[in-house]
Amino acid sequence: MKMMKGLLLAAGAALMGAAAAQAEGERYVLVSHAPDSDSWWNTIKNSIALAGEQMNVEVEYRNPPTGDLADMARIIEQAAASGPDGIITTIADYDVLSGPIRSAVDSGVDVVIMNTGTPEQTRELGALMYVGQPEYDAGLAAGQRAKDDGITNFLCVNHTIQQPSLGERCQGFADGLGVELGNQMIDAGQDPAEIKNRVMAYLNANPDTEAVLTLGPVSADPTIQALEENGMAGDIYFGTFDLGENIVQAIKDGIINWGIDQQPFLQGYLPVVILTNYHRYGVLPGNNINSGPGFITAEALDKVEEFAGEYR
Amino acid sequence: MTDPLIRMKDIEKHFGSVIALAGVSVDIHAGECHCLLGDNGAGKSTFIKTLSGVHHPTRGEILFGGRPMHFADPRDAIAAGIATVHQHLAMIPLMSVSRNFFMGNEPVKRIGPFAFFDHDRANRITMAEMEKMGIVLRGPDQAVGTLSGGERQTVAIARAVHFGARVLILDEPTSALGVRQTANVLATIDKVRKQGVAVVFITHNVRHAMAVGDRFTVLNRGRTYGTAARGEITPEELQDMMAGGQELATLESSLGSTV
Amino acid sequence: MSDTPQVVQDERVKRISPFRRALIRPELGGIVGTVAVFVFFGLFAYDSGMFNSQGVMNWSVVSAQFMIIAVGACLLMIAGEFDLSVGSMIGFAGMMIAIFGVTMGWPIWIAILVTFALCLGIGALNGFIVVRTGLPSFIVTLAFLFILRGFTIFLPQVIERKTIIGGIGEAAEGDWLAALFGGKILGGLFRWLGEIGAIETFSRGTRQGEPVVDGIPMLIVWALGLVLVGQILLTRTRFGNWIFAAGGDAESARNSGVPVNRVKILMFMFSAFCATVFATSQVMEFGSAGADRGLLKEFEAIIAVVIGGALLTGGYGSVIGAALGALIFGVVQQGLFFAGVESSLFRVFLGVILLFAVILNTYIRRIITGER
Repeated sequence: MKMMKGLLLAAGAALMGAAAAQAEGERYVLVSHAPDSDSWWNTIKNSIALAGEQMNVEVEYRNPPTGDLADMARIIEQAAASGPDGIITTIADYDVLSGPIRSAVDSGVDVVIMNTGTPEQTRELGALMYVGQPEYDAGLAAGQRAKDDGITNFLCVNHTIQQPSLGERCQGFADGLGVELGNQMIDAGQDPAEIKNRVMAYLNANPDTEAVLTLGPVSADPTIQALEENGMAGDIYFGTFDLGENIVQAIKDGIINWGIDQQPFLQGYLPVVILTNYHRYGVLPGNNINSGPGFITAEALDKVEEFAGEYR
Repeated sequence: MTDPLIRMKDIEKHFGSVIALAGVSVDIHAGECHCLLGDNGAGKSTFIKTLSGVHHPTRGEILFGGRPMHFADPRDAIAAGIATVHQHLAMIPLMSVSRNFFMGNEPVKRIGPFAFFDHDRANRITMAEMEKMGIVLRGPDQAVGTLSGGERQTVAIARAVHFGARVLILDEPTSALGVRQTANVLATIDKVRKQGVAVVFITHNVRHAMAVGDRFTVLNRGRTYGTAARGEITPEELQDMMAGGQELATLESSLGSTV
Repeated sequence: MSDTPQVVQDERVKRISPFRRALIRPELGGIVGTVAVFVFFGLFAYDSGMFNSQGVMNWSVVSAQFMIIAVGACLLMIAGEFDLSVGSMIGFAGMMIAIFGVTMGWPIWIAILVTFALCLGIGALNGFIVVRTGLPSFIVTLAFLFILRGFTIFLPQVIERKTIIGGIGEAAEGDWLAALFGGKILGGLFRWLGEIGAIETFSRGTRQGEPVVDGIPMLIVWALGLVLVGQILLTRTRFGNWIFAAGGDAESARNSGVPVNRVKILMFMFSAFCATVFATSQVMEFGSAGADRGLLKEFEAIIAVVIGGALLTGGYGSVIGAALGALIFGVVQQGLFFAGVESSLFRVFLGVILLFAVILNTYIRRIITGER
């Protein structure tokens, strides 16, 4: 038992160190829906750290470790109980999260929705505004672009099939092409080796597949490898959501035709800035902000390349 | 003596081409300690399993209380009052003595529609039974794991007797014990015998057998060399019979009447 | 051999000190840990909102969730087995309620009852396979972890073309059985507490003036109920003795006439029951079932049970201990946030505390069994 006490005291000392870094300004909590393994959110972590520094406010990042949205609901409730000035969160599932978000709003915490959600849901919950890229619309725009390029069928590599928002991208893309989604979306899992093998297996079984759509670096990176391995790289039409170092390189190499950048930096940075200004001076933009979609092709890569994975 | 509680006549047990028991005859009386001696491989465990209903004899007959005995499985034998205390004691070290004592036979107390484990009664009986056997527990909730090997044997024996054993088969209860622990177990056997229970004490230790045995049967290579009563045979003779062979002739003459 | 009864007592066995006596109670670690955790957060997170009504409700609900599955895992572990399919069962059960109740449009109470029957059946199958094949339950239930999670993703995708099915809230409106899982009790009391200012009220919106905590969720009632039933079952019934016996030494228990297989299968079913209670409460509270619900919950249940003093090898443990383990788990998980700690450090803490708990438990077992 002595050991346990000692441990707790030691942990306590560590905690005090961590807690001492409190800024003097307002306190905001960003609650994401991403599991710990999702590296894409690093950009957002970096952006809120930058915004917190620039605005002299404290911003905490919280997420459900496994991506379980019911856990996320508890985290929002908890964030509200800790009495912050504002909460920045996503509506990854309206049914699950509407209750906790509404309670937070009603108990006096200002909420900004980012990344996932719709302007309608945002209004419904009484949140201040929405900053992000409507998923279905982005998928639809990408699908229309692909259709103009002469594509009639595709493979959607979904690495987080449990999350409906990613599926929306595939659905939008299919609708943009004007085809049924059907079995063109595969559950690839999160493991790079598995994703690579599944993509190769699918393309092997369906050699007349014209296009590949990946939904983020998690599925794009192994897919690039798969295409390089089976010799389809540069030949097959390849579009992806979101950016990362490998994706940028692949765009440069001509393997990926375009990447859809929802500019996560803005999704983290803007809410912090907006909330701070709202709390300090009472000013608020009059509308929601679409941070994307922006199509990134080989032509405009300089800045992207420089900050990929960090701020882009 | 009165009619034997169990009479085994020319029991044979074959496993395929192996003859484990090749004609064993033993009588067991209530209130006696019958020692069954034999070296390793003499057929002792086959004997126990046949007696306790695990095996069915290939040939021969077992009479229990004067009637032929046909047990489908060990549970039948237990129900009829033949209990075996194995070397593997059927005791769970992490559980208390009282919980172990009543394992599978828990007393219940009804409160409304619910039946609860009657701990008070179980504890009382356990303490009383243990005291009868000369074991003082710190409390009924003492874990069996803290008991010595001899004490565990005693708990197992007391449990079997408490739940109505008329024949108690003890499989090498002293083989792993020190001198003092052995004395305690032998004292327990003595007490149980005095309660009128027939004890079948299986051992390969002649001195342990001589200490409490009323009659002695030696098992060697699946056969019995006959049964001798206390006082009719010396420890040295028993020892030689178990070893089997060299001095068989002289032994047979000294056992003449019972062979 | 003399006939005088002699008292068998080995003078070398030391009398056990009261301290060691207390140490072998399985709840001890849980009690000490609980006190330590509350003292700790009382010192470091007192004015962070952790102990206002919303904060208390937050960690209470999280702890209650852990408790529900910990009770099942605890009894099963004492019976000598593991169930790694708990997390997947939570996802599966929730999804089945959604499919029956929303997609197929059955009344919610029927959907819930059918789901319970289905999940208990799967629990029984888990147990049946384990006792029949003699395979470690670790492997058998690991298989079900994947099987159930697979179905939980596959079924809604085939049926509804998505992996989250919502609309359960509307379907469950006014349903008597749904209220038993998703409802709240003592609403009047909390409204009164809000009126006299004992707890905060909403400051704006449609619920302005209502208390921020408007009742005790049924989830907490279920948790306390299951802990109580589990504790009585384990310590006060003959079946409880069989649970200990089955986990302590299955062979010895069988020799003594304990129906070990039946006990184990029933405990697998109880574990499934607890997972289904968890799932039903969650689905009724949040109004949707998702394919990602319950991920890794099986390990959280096992960790809570181990922190609560149960032995991984079976035959020893306590439901109250497991409940305290769940409380520690919940309070620490939520409390670290209130204390302003980076959330990823929670796992470090969890690993460390788990290690200490296991070492402590092994030490306790040595004392009990007298191993040196």
